[in-house]
Amino acid sequence: MSYTEATIQLLSPEGKLVQSDATAPYLEKVAGLSDDRLRDFHRQMVVTRRFDIEAGNLQRQGQLALWIPSLGQEGAQVGSGYAARAQDHIFPAYREHLVGRIRGLGPMKIIELLRGLSHGGWDPAQTGNFHLYTLVIGSHALHSTGYAMGMTFDGATGTGDPEKDAAVLTYFGDGATSQGDVSEAMVFAASYQAPIVFFLQNNHWAISVPVERQSRTPLYLRGTGFGIPSVQIDGNDALASYAVTSTLLDDARAGKGPGFVEALTYRMGAHTTSDDPTKYRESDDLKFWADRDPIARFEAFLRARGEGEAFFAEVAAEAEDLAADVRARTLALGSPTADSMFAHVYSDPHPLMEEQAAWLAAYEASFEEGAE
Amino acid sequence: MSIETMAMAKAINAGLHAALANDDRVLLMGEDIGTLGGVFRVTEGLKAEFGENRVLDTPLAESGIVGTAIGLAMRGYRPVCEIQFDGFIFPGFDQITTQLAKLTARHEGALSLPVVIRVPYGGHIGAVEHHQESPEAYFAHTAGLRVVSPATPHDGYWMIQEAIASNDPVLFFEPKSRYWQKGEVDLAAAGAPLHASRVVREGTDATLVGHGAMVSVLLTAADIAAEEGTSLEVVDLRSLSPIDYGPILSSVQKTGRLVVAQEAPGNVSVGSEIAATIAERAFYSLQAPVLRVSGFDTPFPPAKLEAAYLPDADRVLEAVDRALTY
Amino acid sequence: MAQSEFPLPDVGEGLTEAEIVSWKVKPGDTVAVNQVLVEIETAKSLVELPSPFAGTVTELLFEEGATVEVGAPIIRVDSAGGTIELQAPHDADTVGEVADPSREVAQEETSGAVLVGYGSSGGHARTRRRRPGAVATTVAVEGTTAEGAKESARRRPTTTGMPVIAKPPIRKLAKDLGVDIATVTGTGLGGEIGRDDVIRHAQQATVFRNLETPAWPEEREERIPVKGVRKAIATAMVQSAFTAPHVSVFTDVNATRTMEFVRRLKGSAQFAGIRVSPLLVMAKAVIWAVRRNPTVNSTWTDKEIVVHHYVNLGIAAATPRGLIVPNIKDAQNMNLRELAQALEQLTITARDGKTTPAEMANGTITITNLGSFGMDTGTPILNPGEVGIVALGAIKQKPWVVDGEVRPAYVTTVSAAFDHRVVDGDVASRFTADLAAVIEEPALLLD
Repeated sequence: MSYTEATIQLLSPEGKLVQSDATAPYLEKVAGLSDDRLRDFHRQMVVTRRFDIEAGNLQRQGQLALWIPSLGQEGAQVGSGYAARAQDHIFPAYREHLVGRIRGLGPMKIIELLRGLSHGGWDPAQTGNFHLYTLVIGSHALHSTGYAMGMTFDGATGTGDPEKDAAVLTYFGDGATSQGDVSEAMVFAASYQAPIVFFLQNNHWAISVPVERQSRTPLYLRGTGFGIPSVQIDGNDALASYAVTSTLLDDARAGKGPGFVEALTYRMGAHTTSDDPTKYRESDDLKFWADRDPIARFEAFLRARGEGEAFFAEVAAEAEDLAADVRARTLALGSPTADSMFAHVYSDPHPLMEEQAAWLAAYEASFEEGAE
Repeated sequence: MSIETMAMAKAINAGLHAALANDDRVLLMGEDIGTLGGVFRVTEGLKAEFGENRVLDTPLAESGIVGTAIGLAMRGYRPVCEIQFDGFIFPGFDQITTQLAKLTARHEGALSLPVVIRVPYGGHIGAVEHHQESPEAYFAHTAGLRVVSPATPHDGYWMIQEAIASNDPVLFFEPKSRYWQKGEVDLAAAGAPLHASRVVREGTDATLVGHGAMVSVLLTAADIAAEEGTSLEVVDLRSLSPIDYGPILSSVQKTGRLVVAQEAPGNVSVGSEIAATIAERAFYSLQAPVLRVSGFDTPFPPAKLEAAYLPDADRVLEAVDRALTY
Repeated sequence: MAQSEFPLPDVGEGLTEAEIVSWKVKPGDTVAVNQVLVEIETAKSLVELPSPFAGTVTELLFEEGATVEVGAPIIRVDSAGGTIELQAPHDADTVGEVADPSREVAQEETSGAVLVGYGSSGGHARTRRRRPGAVATTVAVEGTTAEGAKESARRRPTTTGMPVIAKPPIRKLAKDLGVDIATVTGTGLGGEIGRDDVIRHAQQATVFRNLETPAWPEEREERIPVKGVRKAIATAMVQSAFTAPHVSVFTDVNATRTMEFVRRLKGSAQFAGIRVSPLLVMAKAVIWAVRRNPTVNSTWTDKEIVVHHYVNLGIAAATPRGLIVPNIKDAQNMNLRELAQALEQLTITARDGKTTPAEMANGTITITNLGSFGMDTGTPILNPGEVGIVALGAIKQKPWVVDGEVRPAYVTTVSAAFDHRVVDGDVASRFTADLAAVIEEPALLLD
C-alpha cells in the first residue's frame, strides 16, 4: 500500500526499532529524545484520539455541525509536531488537531469552529505559531511559503544558530497535491530557497477519491521534481515522523532550503461526519491499516522499554477527563452576537461596516422584546 | 517648487520609490518587475536601487504571487504585487477572494493584511485578448477588499502610497491607456484621501461619474457639451470600494440628472451599484432615471473593434441627451 | 424524575430527515453517555447515534422503519441531562421545543402558485412583531436644502432653488395633464406632491381647458331649462351688469417674491398642513388696500354710499353647479394663519356644495381667482351689492426687465373692476397699484 523501497521506518508495527543504513542517521535523532518526551508522544496521541471520538459523538448528538476526524494519523502528527521548535511557524490544513494541541491550541477553539461559532479566530501568536485552519484545499501552502520567504528577508533564519533560526512547517494531504497552489508553493519555495518543510499526510483518500487518482508516481517524488529534498516515511511511525521532519527542518533553518516529507498513513475515519466511507472503500483496507496503528505500536515500544501499567492507566484517565471536559464545555457554549459580523472585516474603519452594523442594530431593536 | 509634470507611469514609479524608501517592510513582487522594470516600466530602476530582496522577480504564477504575498504580510511585510495585465488576475482570483479578503475576519482581527495588488487595466491600447479587461466589479463585490483607481498622474503618485499605507488589502487598478499621459503632480500635498470621490469639473445640467481612463472621456464630453450650451459636472470616483457618495449626492441634488460611465460591461457592474444607490438616496432630486454607459455585455472584442465597444464622448453624450429629455 | 428527549440531529450538513433502521436499546435499559442508541439511515449514509444522556430509557418515540424529521425527539430518557437543544444550524425552528410525538411526520407542500421544485414549506406568519412606529419612513428628503441653484441658460430653470418633491410617476402625471409641477401645492409630508394634488391642480385648470373634442350631437338643438343656481346667477349678473357701470383697470406685476413667500410659508412649521397659495397673499393685499382706499369697499344705494369699515371678503368659487361667491366675515380681524384656514374651509365647503345662503350674503368686496383656471386676466362682473372686484390672474414665468436685462420672472396680471358711480379712475388705479405693490413685495403687509 504505497510503501516503496525509499520508505523510512524506524519503528515497526510491532513496536521494534528498525536498524539499517537508511535509518541510522535518523535513529541518532531519536536517541536524543528523553523518556519524558517519548511519554509525551504517547500521551498526546491517546488524548487526541479520545478527543476525536468524543467530538464525533457530539456531532452525532447535534452539538456540532461537522467533525473532522484525525483517527489513524496521530503518529504522523505527533512526531512532526514535536520536531518543530518554538520559533517555527506551522500552517495546518484542517485535520491537524494533535499538532495544534502540542503548540497550545486548546480543543475548544476547534470545537467552536465546527459548531459554527467562528471561522477559526485564534491568534497564532497565542497558539505557539500554529496558524488557522484553511478549508480551501492547498491555499495555505502559498501563505506558508511566503511566510518562510519573509523569515529569510528578516534574517531570522540561516544564521547558524538552530536555537534562534526559524523555519516553517506546513501540512496538507494527498488530494491537495493536485491543486495548482501546492505546486506553485513548491516553485516559489525552491526558487527562493525558502526555509520551509512541506509535510504531506498521504492518508490515501480525498473524500472518496483514492490517491491513485491524484498521482501516478509516489508523491514524495513531486518534491524531488521541484528540486526539493524529499523523504517518504511510514506515516504511522511517530519516531520516523519526528526524526525525518526535524532533520529537514534543521536543514531549512540552516539555510539549505526547503524539504518535503511524504508520510504514508491512512484516514481510518470518514473525511468528515458528513461522509460515509462504506460507500467507496473495502473493510480489508481498514484491517490492513488497523494492524499498523500508530498508537498500538508506540505502546508496544514503550512497554518494551519498561514503561509500566500505571503510566498507561494515567494517560487513559487523562483522556477520559479531557473528553468529559470538552463535552461539558461544548454544551455550555454561547453564540456570537450579530454585530460581530462587521467587527473585523477590515483593519481600518470602513463606512459600509458602520452603516450596516447600525442598520442591523436598529432593525433588531424594532421588534418587540421576547418575540421570536 | 513642489509641482512637477510627469506621466502617470512615472508618477506611480515615484510613489513606489517613496514607499520603498520610507518603510523597510514594503516589498514589490511580480513578473518582470525587477530587472526589466515591468512591461510598462512602472517599476523601472527600483530593483537596482533597493535590491532583489525588496523588488522580486517572481515565477510566472499569479496565484503564487498573491499567496506568497499573503504569507509575507503575515510575517509583517507590506507587499505590493503586480499582476502584469488585467486579464491575468483570474489565476489569482481564489487567493484574492477566499484568502486575502477573508483572513482578517477569519483571525477576528488578530492580523492585518496590508497587501496591494497593482493591476494595469482597461482598453484603448489595441492589445490582444486578456490585455484590455476591466474586472473591477468582481473585487468591489468582495467584502474585505478595497478597490481604487487613479485617473491622473497626481493621484497615481499619491494613491499608490496611501494604498500601501492602508492596513487592508487594496486592489489598485491603473488605467494603462493613461500611463504615458502627462499631468501635474503636486509633490507636497495629496489633496484628497484615498477613498474620496471628487468633482473635477463643475456644471449644472447633469452629473457624469467615472473612474480611471473614463474620466478624461467624461471631460471631453463635457467640453463638447459646453459648446452646445449644456453644462455638465464631472465626478472622478477614485474609489470603487468603498464608494464616496457624498460629492455625487450633492452634485445630483444640484443637477437632477446622473450618467455613470465605465469601460467594464454594464451588467452587474460598479455603475449598476451607483445607479441603484443614487436612485434610493437621491430619489426626490432626480429629474430623470440614472443612466449607465458601459462596455457591451460581450467578451472584450478584438482590438479592431475596441472603438465600437468602448464608451467614448459620443456615447456619453447620447446618454446625456436622453437624460435631458425627461 | 427528569425526562430528557433527544431530537434527531442533522448528521450530514443539510439533511432534513432520516429513517429509523434499528434500535439498540429498549425501554427500561440503562444507558451511558455515548452508548449507541439507534442506527439511522439518511440520504447520505447509515449512521449510529450515541446517547447524549446517562439514565434509563423511558420510551422509544418512533418505530423501526419510521421516517423522522430532523428536530423531532426520537427517544425519552429519564436522566438529569435536561432536554437537548440542537445546535446544528438548520434547526432554528425547533430549538427548545418539545414536539408532540404523535405529530404527522410527512408534511404537505403548501406552495401555492409556485414553480415545481421551488416549493416553500407552507405559509408562515411573521415570527416577530414590529414595535409600533418601527417602520422608518425614510422621507429623508435629500434635496430639500437649497444648495443655491445656478440658473442654466437652456434647460429647466429652478427659479427659487427649492426642488419639487414629487415621485417620478407623479411628475409624469403632471406632464400628461399639462400641469407645471413647480406650481402645484403639495400636501404630503415635507411638502411632497401627491397624485391628488396634481389632479386637483389639473381640475382647476381644466375647468376651462377642454380635454376632448366630442362628435357633433345628433339632435340639432338641446334645450336647458333655466332654473336654480343658473337662474340665480343670471339674475345677479344682469342686475350688476346693467345697473352698475363697470370700469376695469389692469396692471402686470413681478410676483416672484410672492411665490417665494408662499413657498417659505409652506415649509414653515406654523403653516404645516394648511393650504397656502398666492390667493392668500392677494386676500391680505385686498384688506390692506381697502384700508388705504376705503370707498372701494362700499355699497351703492340711490340715497347714499355705505362705506363698510369691515371686510366680508368674497371669493368667487366655481362649483359643478355654477359660480357662487361665499365670503369670509370680518376678514380684517384675522391673522395670516386664520385667513388661510378660512380660505381653505370656504373652498372645501363650496366644492362639497354645502355653502349656506348666510355665507353668501353681505359680502363687501370680492376676489375672483382666474389664475386657477389658467387665465392671465379677465373682466369680472361685480357681485351685487359691491362696488369692487379683483381678478388674480395666473402666475407664470414670463420675461421681465430687471436692471436693463431681460430675465425670467414669475409675472401676473392684477385686474380690478369697479362701479364707476362710486369709484373713479384715480381711486381705481391707486387701489390696484396698492394690490400690485403687495404682490411685488409681500413685506408691505407688515405695515
